Amino acid sequence: MKNYNKLKEYILTKQHRALRRRVEDDLPALYSAEGLSAEERMTRRFEYLCAHETPVVLPDERIAFLRTLCDIPHIYTEEEFAALKSEKRLHELGFHSNVTPDYEKLLRHGLLYFCDCTDGYGARSIDALISLCDRYVTEAKRVGNDEVATTLERVSRYGATSFLEALQLFRVIHFALWLEGNYHVTVGRFDKYMYPYFKSDLDSGKLTLDEAAMLVEEFFLSFNRDSDLYPGVQQGDNGQSLVLGGKDENGCEIFNELSRLCLEASGRLMVIDPKINLRVSKDTPLEVYMLGTELTKKGLGFPQYTNDDVAIPALIELGYEPADAANYGMAACWELIVPGVGMDTANIDALSFAKIVDRALHEDLLSCETMEDFNSAIRAQINKEIELICRGTDGLWFIPSPFLRICMDENADGSYKYNNFGIHGTGACTAADSLAAIEKYIFDERSLTKEELIAAVDSDFCGSPELLHKLRYETAKVGQNDDYADKYLCMLLSFFADSLEGRRNCLDGIYRAGTGSAMFYLRHVEDLGASPDGRRRGESLGANFSVSLFAKTGGPLSVISSLTKPELHRTINGGPVTLEFASGIWSAEDSIEKFSKFIKSYIAMGGHQIQLNSVDLETLKRAQEHPEDYERLVVRIWGWSAYFTALDKCYQDHVMQRQIYSM
Amino acid sequence: MREGIVFNIEELTVHDGDGVRVTVFMKGCPMRCSWCHNPEGLKAQPELLYKRARCVGCGECQKKCDHEDCKPFGRCLHVCPYDCLTVAGERYTSERLASKLNKYKRIFDACGGGVTFSGGEPLMQWEFIAEVIDRLDGINIAIETSGYAPMHIFKSAVDKLDHIYMDIKLFDAEAHKRHTGCDNAMIKENFLYLRLSGKPFTIRTPLISGITDTEENLSAIKEFIGDAHWEKLPENKLAGAKYDMLI
Ligand code: SF4
Ligand code: SF4
Repeated sequence: MKNYNKLKEYILTKQHRALRRRVEDDLPALYSAEGLSAEERMTRRFEYLCAHETPVVLPDERIAFLRTLCDIPHIYTEEEFAALKSEKRLHELGFHSNVTPDYEKLLRHGLLYFCDCTDGYGARSIDALISLCDRYVTEAKRVGNDEVATTLERVSRYGATSFLEALQLFRVIHFALWLEGNYHVTVGRFDKYMYPYFKSDLDSGKLTLDEAAMLVEEFFLSFNRDSDLYPGVQQGDNGQSLVLGGKDENGCEIFNELSRLCLEASGRLMVIDPKINLRVSKDTPLEVYMLGTELTKKGLGFPQYTNDDVAIPALIELGYEPADAANYGMAACWELIVPGVGMDTANIDALSFAKIVDRALHEDLLSCETMEDFNSAIRAQINKEIELICRGTDGLWFIPSPFLRICMDENADGSYKYNNFGIHGTGACTAADSLAAIEKYIFDERSLTKEELIAAVDSDFCGSPELLHKLRYETAKVGQNDDYADKYLCMLLSFFADSLEGRRNCLDGIYRAGTGSAMFYLRHVEDLGASPDGRRRGESLGANFSVSLFAKTGGPLSVISSLTKPELHRTINGGPVTLEFASGIWSAEDSIEKFSKFIKSYIAMGGHQIQLNSVDLETLKRAQEHPEDYERLVVRIWGWSAYFTALDKCYQDHVMQRQIYSM
Repeated sequence: MREGIVFNIEELTVHDGDGVRVTVFMKGCPMRCSWCHNPEGLKAQPELLYKRARCVGCGECQKKCDHEDCKPFGRCLHVCPYDCLTVAGERYTSERLASKLNKYKRIFDACGGGVTFSGGEPLMQWEFIAEVIDRLDGINIAIETSGYAPMHIFKSAVDKLDHIYMDIKLFDAEAHKRHTGCDNAMIKENFLYLRLSGKPFTIRTPLISGITDTEENLSAIKEFIGDAHWEKLPENKLAGAKYDMLI
């Protein structure tokens, strides 16, 4: 009898890491000496890593595969890679990221099926992976784990015939995609492509609901085996996002029994992977929101909600085919990508709204006679910056990934259906609040001269405590449901969307505007002074689509009222409203219902994405003082959750500075 | 047009009625319950609140200023870099409050919900609230009251509201007087009216150990209210004071 709890303990206490070793050979030097092509190098490396992985089959597991090589050597020498970077426009690490494989076809067919329809590189990769699976089978037999041996015996070659096989094959493919050097490999619409296997096993009596729940939990645990080896800005930023619910191509909600098991499994497991996303619409029954809220209550920062009513029509408007639009999933954080066919680079760059206002303040304000003049200046600054950003994406090139290619759905000519670029927008609320302040004090009340404001901003408000107080705390802000500030949020986002409209990128895709921040809420203030909204030098921007950190909002209802005013369907690349609540709120017995209705209202009002966090400031403070006692304390960062104590202090501090609502 | 004094407007409150709620806390209460967790709700006049935990002691607020609104407090309200000083008790005309509340209509329409008047004791400012309600755009209105109000006011309120949450804290008149400073005869009479009014209502008893949370008190209340909908609120669920009072 297998003991799942023993397995869980083994993984969560990181004992499996003792089995890891480093790669000994200097692969880049070898490949360089032979002068190999990028594709040959990728294939050779994959073959090498598959051959050098040590199969490990744990006695209590039902789903196998564990990374034992802790580093993946580069395919290029340092000099070669530096030369490549100067020659081509690479994105981040240069390898493919933020992709969702077509799991539906992969699970159905198994890998052999694809040998015929791929090139030599792909076929070699499949061979390498199947051999590794075979070595796992041998090892499973050796240690007496017959279940793993039986599951792996045929599934990699011929596809899944049961829920367990489907989960195991997924695990093999997910493992292989990371091993190939891709990153931010996402999970996609799990409850859609897995459901047929789940249902058929339940219907035939092969599985009980409890057994299936257990399997889902073990499967979720598998995302936490190797994730510390995955690249990311911080530990946790690894893109293992899983999507539940939402509409299918016929407009029917797919939320099913498996979706429910997933929400519950995540809440039981209490770890940061996989990241749970829930697709909803105004038609989604309240019970689904309530299940989501039960998970929010656990404090993992899951689920993150996306509104089908906004996302699907917006994707169609951007040129996605209706069936693809209906099938959208999530990139690493919150960017929309379509499984199988989306090779979009959804996070190629970011527009800093706060910087735009700062430039207009210094370059244009003195020559503006009215607020309208200044607004035009803002538009021109955005256009100028977007022109630069877009030009910066020219010549984008990715190191080819033969195995990933098999997992996607290429066009006949080897190209991909969607090659769109997404651009984040940070600090939109800081910028909108700044514009509201400029309108009020300079053009409306005329209580402040342009020169005085510029001087105060440049001096970081030193010596003007009264002005600082007025700007920070007594001026209209986004989050108060006051059009005085909200209209600027609407304006900024529509200028942003306008500036990208009609542009084609170098891969003949389009550009998508978004309200996400990623790490730019910190990075964009590094070279920025104070802002006219009273933000002092060095103070961070809100994460994602959030109000400014010090805005005195009316409360969560005012915040979502403000943030649903813009035409969000024009900025759907990704970026949720993020709200933090004190964990004490859950003690009221009607809190689950209240929060579910709150989220549902946001969706019904045309919100795009939203994500709630449950935090306890005192616990965070104690965790900073005694990290050793809080190893498993989870917080939400931007599009992912993390173990608080594993974060750099700047990210910890930002979480603690966010406005925390209570009830 | 009437004016009222509000000490807080909170969004997404719990225990305050159906759906997504906005609770308006009216300033001033005739009672003085020994367990009261809402010190800023008691006095009818505006008061200074001070967030001690955020204060760095920079002294800016103690420098002389000439703002009209700072005068009663002897401190400058418009200079603190950490926003430690605020006034509890904002004057609203019924029109301004109604227009503020009407802005929530978009949310209430989306998924249900409404406004709840609480306090302090909202019935102390009932004429003002009634004027506000007349200006609201078809919003569900509930009230949380101690029931301590003259019968004609109580009646007028019950007739105008969608749901009434009314406290019956202590049944024994003597004990009631001792722990709240007020007699409960009016409360009992009001309850009898409420029961016959046909309006949906909930009776609430805060459970204060050794005071209201006694076998004797609870069974007396039970006998008095019969099968009326009754909620007993544990002490830790009562809203706590969020601020230190400075003056
Ligand atoms: S200005 Fe604010 S921080 Fe400074 S002493 Fe006064 S209350 Fe404290
Ligand atoms: S009735 Fe309520 S607000 Fe008034 S004193 Fe009693 S507990 Fe405090």
